[in-house]
Amino acid sequence: MKVFRSHLLLCGGTGCHASGSLSVKKALVAEMAKRNLTEEIKLVETGCNGFCAMGPIMVVYPEGVIYMMIKPEDVPELVEEHLVKGRILERLLYREPTTEAVIPTMQEIPFFALQELRVLRNRGLIDPERIEEYIARDGYAGMAKALTEMTSGEIVQEMLDSGLRGRGGAGFPTGLKWKFCSASPGDIKYVLCNADEGDPGAFMDRSVLEADPHAVLEGMVIAAKAIGAHFGYIYCRAEYPLAIHRLNIAIEQATEMGLLGKDILGTGFDFNLEIYQGAGAFVCGEETALMTSIEGKRGMPRPRPPFPAIAGLWQRPSVLNNVETFANVPQIILKGAAWYAGVGTEKSKGTKVFALTGDVNNVGLVEVPMGTTLGTIVFDIGGGIPKNKKYKAAQLGGPSGGCIPVQHLNASVDYEKVAELGAIMGSGGLIVMNEDNCAVDMARFFMDFCQDESCGKCTPCREGTKRMLQILTNITQGKGKEGDIELLEEMAGIIKDASLCGLGQTAPNPVLSTIRYFRQEYEEHIRNKYCRAGVCSALFKSPCQNACPVGMDVPAYIGLIRAERFEDAYRVLLKTNPFPSVCGRVCDHKCQSKCRRGKMDEPVAIKFLKRFITDSAPRPRVDPVPVTRKERIAVVGAGPAGLTAARDLALRGYSVTVFEELPNPGGMLRWAIPSYRLPRNILDGEIDDIRGLGVEIRCNVRVGKDLPFEKLAKDYDCVYLATGAHKSTKMGVPGEELQGVWGGVEFLRAFNMDENAWMKGARTLGSKVAVIGGGNSAIDAARCAKRMGADVTILYRRERKEMPAAEEEVTAALDEDIKIEFLAAPLKIEGKDGQVTGITCERMKLGDFDRSGRKRPVAIPGSEFTLAVDAVVAAIGQVPDMAFVPKDSGVVINKWDCYDLAKDSQSRTTNPKFYAGGDAVTGPDTVIGAIAAGHQAAADIDSDIRNALGEPAWEAPAEEKIDVPLLIDEETQEQPQTKMPELHGAERTTSFAEVELGFTRELAIAESCRCLRCDAEV
Amino acid sequence: MAKLKIEDLKKIKERVHAETALRDGERRAKITVHMGTCGIASGARDVMEALMKAIEEAGVTDVIVTTSGCMGLCSREPLVTVERVGEEPIKYESMNANKMRQVFKKHVLEGEIQTPFVLARGAEIVK
Repeated sequence: MKVFRSHLLLCGGTGCHASGSLSVKKALVAEMAKRNLTEEIKLVETGCNGFCAMGPIMVVYPEGVIYMMIKPEDVPELVEEHLVKGRILERLLYREPTTEAVIPTMQEIPFFALQELRVLRNRGLIDPERIEEYIARDGYAGMAKALTEMTSGEIVQEMLDSGLRGRGGAGFPTGLKWKFCSASPGDIKYVLCNADEGDPGAFMDRSVLEADPHAVLEGMVIAAKAIGAHFGYIYCRAEYPLAIHRLNIAIEQATEMGLLGKDILGTGFDFNLEIYQGAGAFVCGEETALMTSIEGKRGMPRPRPPFPAIAGLWQRPSVLNNVETFANVPQIILKGAAWYAGVGTEKSKGTKVFALTGDVNNVGLVEVPMGTTLGTIVFDIGGGIPKNKKYKAAQLGGPSGGCIPVQHLNASVDYEKVAELGAIMGSGGLIVMNEDNCAVDMARFFMDFCQDESCGKCTPCREGTKRMLQILTNITQGKGKEGDIELLEEMAGIIKDASLCGLGQTAPNPVLSTIRYFRQEYEEHIRNKYCRAGVCSALFKSPCQNACPVGMDVPAYIGLIRAERFEDAYRVLLKTNPFPSVCGRVCDHKCQSKCRRGKMDEPVAIKFLKRFITDSAPRPRVDPVPVTRKERIAVVGAGPAGLTAARDLALRGYSVTVFEELPNPGGMLRWAIPSYRLPRNILDGEIDDIRGLGVEIRCNVRVGKDLPFEKLAKDYDCVYLATGAHKSTKMGVPGEELQGVWGGVEFLRAFNMDENAWMKGARTLGSKVAVIGGGNSAIDAARCAKRMGADVTILYRRERKEMPAAEEEVTAALDEDIKIEFLAAPLKIEGKDGQVTGITCERMKLGDFDRSGRKRPVAIPGSEFTLAVDAVVAAIGQVPDMAFVPKDSGVVINKWDCYDLAKDSQSRTTNPKFYAGGDAVTGPDTVIGAIAAGHQAAADIDSDIRNALGEPAWEAPAEEKIDVPLLIDEETQEQPQTKMPELHGAERTTSFAEVELGFTRELAIAESCRCLRCDAEV
Repeated sequence: MAKLKIEDLKKIKERVHAETALRDGERRAKITVHMGTCGIASGARDVMEALMKAIEEAGVTDVIVTTSGCMGLCSREPLVTVERVGEEPIKYESMNANKMRQVFKKHVLEGEIQTPFVLARGAEIVK
C-alpha cells in the first residue's frame, strides 16, 4: 500500500459544496501538482462533518488540524505554510467557540419577558395552515360558547364590559359599535374586517393573519352572532399574498369542518365570508371608502352620518373592525370581560400590538399591556438604539400620527396619553428615530405620502397637502421663508377641519407634531440653512463638515491626503481651525458620528487623519499681521475660545492682549488634559503661531486681583471674557472637607502644574484612589493617578453606555487596569484625623427616564459598601468661577454661574463692551465648541465696532485656492476603520509618553481611501 | 369531512396534543421553521429546503418538520425551533442553509446544541 506523509480530508458535504469546497479542491489539486506534492500527500473528499456553517472545512492529518472557511485564494498560502513548511496557518484555524455561553431562557430575554401575549398567543407555536393546531390551543371554543350559551345581547355586554377599543387606531369602544349595529333594524347585515393595513412601518395585521388566521375568523363569527349578520368580508390588500393565501386555507378548512358556513357546529347559525382584495390605496383603510370599494366603486369616503352601523355596506347595517380587534374577541368571550380588563389602564384595557421598527435593535412585533411606557417598549423590549446613537423620537400612528420625543419616554402608551402628546395610537406602527433623522424631512416624508394617497374628493385635502408638501420641500432645500411655519400651522387647521375622512383630518398631524417638539429645527432650516441631523443635503456639502461646529472642510483635507499633498491639507485645516494638531488628538469628532461611511461599516477616522497631517507636514509659516485699527481688545482667559478670538481679531488688524491667571496659556488644554493625550510641545506650537501674529499673552495676571476689572474696562475698547469653567462641582456628601478629597479639575491642574513633583513622589494621592464621575475629566484623573502607581477605581452611578466620556477613553482606561464600578454613587467620605480613609457608596439601579433619555439612577436601600481609599477625586462636573466679576459691572451672571448673553447676540453680554464665550457661557463643553465660540465672538466684536463707526463690513483677504482632486474607488469594499497604533507595556502606565502613536503615511493614505467623498457633485 | 359538533372540538384538541407531544421511541425531534413574511424575506425558504434535503440525505424518518408564523423578533429571522424528545426547545436565530445543515447534523441527530447560533431556550409564556 502506498504511504502518504499527510492526508487532507476536505469536506464534500452539501453545506461545504454550497460554500465552495469544489473550487477549493480544484485549487488544492493544482497547487499540489505545481509543488510536486501529489506523491506525498493524499487529498480525500469526505462526507459532511457537521460544521457546515464554517465550511469549507478541511482536516489535515496526521496532525488533526482543522481549517475552516477556506477560499481558493487561500490555498497557495495554506500549502506553502502547512504542507511545505510545516507551520499551522493560524488565520484559517478552526476555533471552538471560546465562551461556554449559558443559553438564556425566553423569559430571561427582555424582548420576550416583558410582553403579554393575547392576540399573539399562538405565535411561533402553531402551523397556521392546520386548523387542528388552532383548535388544540382552545381555538373556536370562544365561538362555540357564544353560539350556544350566549344571546346577542350578552355578547355585546361582554364586549362592553371588557373595555376593548378599536385597534385600527381611533379607539372607539367595540362593544358600543356592536350594540348600535345590533339595534339597527334590518335582516341583512354585514361583518367586515379591515385588513387594509397601509401605514408605512406597520405590519401587525399582516403578521396576525399569517400566523393565526383562525383567530380573526372566530372573532368575526362572534361579531356576526352579536349583530345578527350572516355574511362578511375581509378586506385585505393584495400586497399581502401570504396573508391572503393562509386566510383562504383557513376559510376552506373552517368551512369544511362546519366552523363557517351553514349550521355552524350544529347550532343553526349561518355565517359565510369572503376575502375582498384591495388594490392598496391608503384611503381604503377608511371605513366608508373601504365599503365603497367592496361595492365595486372607486374607493372614496362618504359623509357620516349615517354611520355604518345604520347604513354601511350596500346601505345595510355593518360592523367594521380591524384584524387585531377581531383577534382579541374569542379570548374575551372564552375567558370573560373581567379577565380581559385585568390589564391596561383605566380607559384603555387589554394589550396592544406594536410593529416596532426603525432605529431600534430588536425590530419586530410586540404585544404589551396598555399603559406600558414608551421607554420600556423602545429600550427594554426593543433593546435601545443601534450604534449607541441617541433616541430622538418615536412616530406613532404613521402618517396620521405624531412623534413622541425624548422628554416623554416615561409616557404611558394608552389612547388618552398618546393623544395628549400630539400623536395617535393608530393601528400600532411604532417607528423609532435616532438623532440622524431630521424633523422637517420626516414631516415632509409623511406629507408626501398623504399627498400621494389623498383620494382627491375634498379640495382642502387634495390641494392643501400639495401646498404643505411644497412648503416643507422648500424648507428642506434651503428655500424656506419667515412665516412658513405659521402658514403650515394655518393650513393644517383648515385641512383638519374641512376634510371628510380620517385621511385628510389627520394628514397634517406629523407636521404639527414636529413643529410642536422641534420648532427650533424648522427655524434653523429657514434662518440658518442648517440641518442639524445632516439629512437635508441641499443645505451642506458633506455631513461631516455640516456636523463640525467650525465647519472644517473634511472631504478636502482627506482628499488631499489621498493625493499625498499633506502641506496643502495642512493649509485647509488652518482655514477654520487654529488648533488642528490639538483637535487631531482630543476633539470629540462630531463629524465622525455623521460620516456616511459609518452607515456601511465604520466612519472614517477623521480625527486621526487630521492629526496625521499636522504630524507629517511642515507647519505653514506665520507672519505678524500689522495692526491697522486703533481699537484695543482684551481677552480674559487663554483657553481655546480666548486664543481663537485673539487670533481672528489680530488677523483683522486689531491689537489684542490676552490675560491669563495661570503661569502658561492653553486653558483646559494644558491644565486639564494630561500630556499622554496632548503632548505640551504640540500645544505650545499652536499657541506660538498665535503669538506670531502679534497677539500678546500676559500670564500670571488674574483679573480682579492683579488687574482690576474696572481698569480693564477703561483701558480697552472691547473685552472678551473666555474664562472657562475651572471649579469642580461639589458632591454634597459628608466628609468632603477632609484632606485627600479633590475636585477633578483642581487635581488635574495641580498635577499638570508640576508633573515632576507628583511623578517623583514629592506630592501624592496615596496608593488607593477613588474617582467619582463618568466624563472625560474623571477618566483623565484616573489615568493620571494610575501613572503615579495608584490602584484606581472609578465610581459611576449609571452604566457604561451612559458615560459621557469618549468611548475610546473608557476603553483606554480599562486597558490600563483601571477598575470601574458602575451603578455606584458616593454617600459619605470616611476619614480619620482629618484625612480620607475610605468612601462609602451605595448601589444604584436604573429607574425611569430623565429628560436626556437616560435612565435615572435610584439608590438601592441597604446596599451601602465602603472602599478603603487614600484619596477621592470628584469629577462630576465643573462650573465657572465668577468671583472676579463685580456686581455693578453690568455683566449679568445667571443661576448656572455663567455669563448671560444679550438677547440679540451670540456673544455679547448684557454690558455692550463685554463679550463672552466658551465654557463660561455654555457650561463645560468641548474644545471645538470653544473654538467655534471664539470665532463667533471675533466676528461679532469686529462687526459691532465697524457698525458703530458706520464702516463697511470686514472682507477677508482673498484666499489662495487649493484645488482638491476627486479621487475615488470604483467599487467600495467593506473595511473597518484603521486602528490607531498605541503604546503598550510598562511605559504606558508609568510615564506620560503619548499613548496614541499616530498614523504612519501608509495607514493614513489607506484610511483616506475609505472616504466616500459624499461632498462630490456629479 | 364531517361537520363538527361542539364536543368534537375537545376531541381534536386531545388528539393534536397527543400527536404533537413528543414521546420517546416514536419521534426524536420536532423542527419548526418560522415562516412569516419576515422569515421568508430573510431566507427561511432556503433554510427549509436545506433542512428537507438534509433529512432526506440522512434517511431519517422520525423527525417532524413544521412551519409557523412570525415569532415577533423579525430582525433575527430566519428563526428555527428545535425540540428534541424530553428536552427544552431551542430557538436558533439568523439561520441560513449551512447553519441549518449544521444544526440538523450536530443538534437534531447528535444532540449537541449549537450554542453560537442560539437565541434562547424554552418557550414564551401565555398568561
